[in-house]
Amino acid sequence: MIEQTKTGIEGLDDILNGGIVKNSTTLVSGNPGAGKSILCLQYIYNGVEKYDEKGIYLSFEEDESDLREAAESLGFDNWQDHVENGDIKVYDKQVLLRENDFTSSLDILLEELEDGDYDRLVLDSLAMFELFFENEKEKRTYLLKFTDILSDSGLTTLMTNEQGAVFPDTEIGLENYLTDGNIYLIQTPTDTGVNRYVWVAKMRKQNIETDIYPMEIDRGGIDVHQNASAFSMMSEEESPI
Amino acid sequence: MDSGEILQTLGNKYSAEILDATDEPVSAQELSDELGIPIATCYRRIDELTEHDLLELHDNILSDDRRRIKVYRRNVDEVRVDFDDELTVHIEERSEVTNKLDEAWRTLSER
Repeated sequence: MIEQTKTGIEGLDDILNGGIVKNSTTLVSGNPGAGKSILCLQYIYNGVEKYDEKGIYLSFEEDESDLREAAESLGFDNWQDHVENGDIKVYDKQVLLRENDFTSSLDILLEELEDGDYDRLVLDSLAMFELFFENEKEKRTYLLKFTDILSDSGLTTLMTNEQGAVFPDTEIGLENYLTDGNIYLIQTPTDTGVNRYVWVAKMRKQNIETDIYPMEIDRGGIDVHQNASAFSMMSEEESPI
Repeated sequence: MDSGEILQTLGNKYSAEILDATDEPVSAQELSDELGIPIATCYRRIDELTEHDLLELHDNILSDDRRRIKVYRRNVDEVRVDFDDELTVHIEERSEVTNKLDEAWRTLSER
């Protein structure tokens, strides 16, 4: 039986047939505004609130105060309390990019991981992390090493990735092959606003529902609906991944 | 470190080739085979370069026939010689981020 880490987003855990594989790394891809950071905030917050699992949030994109405001606007009222008592550890861009250098933060992070107090980790975003490496080969090597380290430290990880899923000719980044799972968040404009969808394209070691499901973002975060959308007529063989 | 000594070490036959080839961890035997360096010379150069922190012992890996093999990786990205004031050799070490990740990853396999 494979151990799983629940996202705490009911519809999503159903699609995943229980949750994300424990100690794996999942890439959360989508265009700006698709809800990647919201999914990540919710994953970390639910971990503490529902499952008594501590989380680390690494953000190269935002300040701690931005994250807090985002969390509170979603109704995650205890976010700040959890941060203050250490159940949620935030490394924001101020910390991570201090002295224009990721090295010292990496030291602190690696030490933290060795202690093994945390179960969940978010890296927002992978693109920023990759800037510390010089070429494709290095990026690939060190992403693999980093995910090995995270897995060995008992962490189940979400990494965000600025990449849309544009049908039919999606450009598949190398990252998608190197990580254990791929979740796409998709948004399509409509007359009245935007339709949102979630697609779990890959999850190593377990069966998943590969249909595309409609979702909403509201107070409370992401809500995934169980009735598969119109996209679901696309058979598995035709799936671009 | 004495700048002249570093220059001398770098100037020895095959030193530059060895540093060039050790972007990824490589064993002495592989260096000898690939660069056509006599194995004894290869070991001597590796010792000299390691002594001056230009090269480092990266890991002891297990070979196909279950022997431990030492692999080496270069420790520098760039060497600059400055004659302006007095002879100075500036050594730009490899990115710390990659070094630290390598280090942390190496301890995983030792656990």
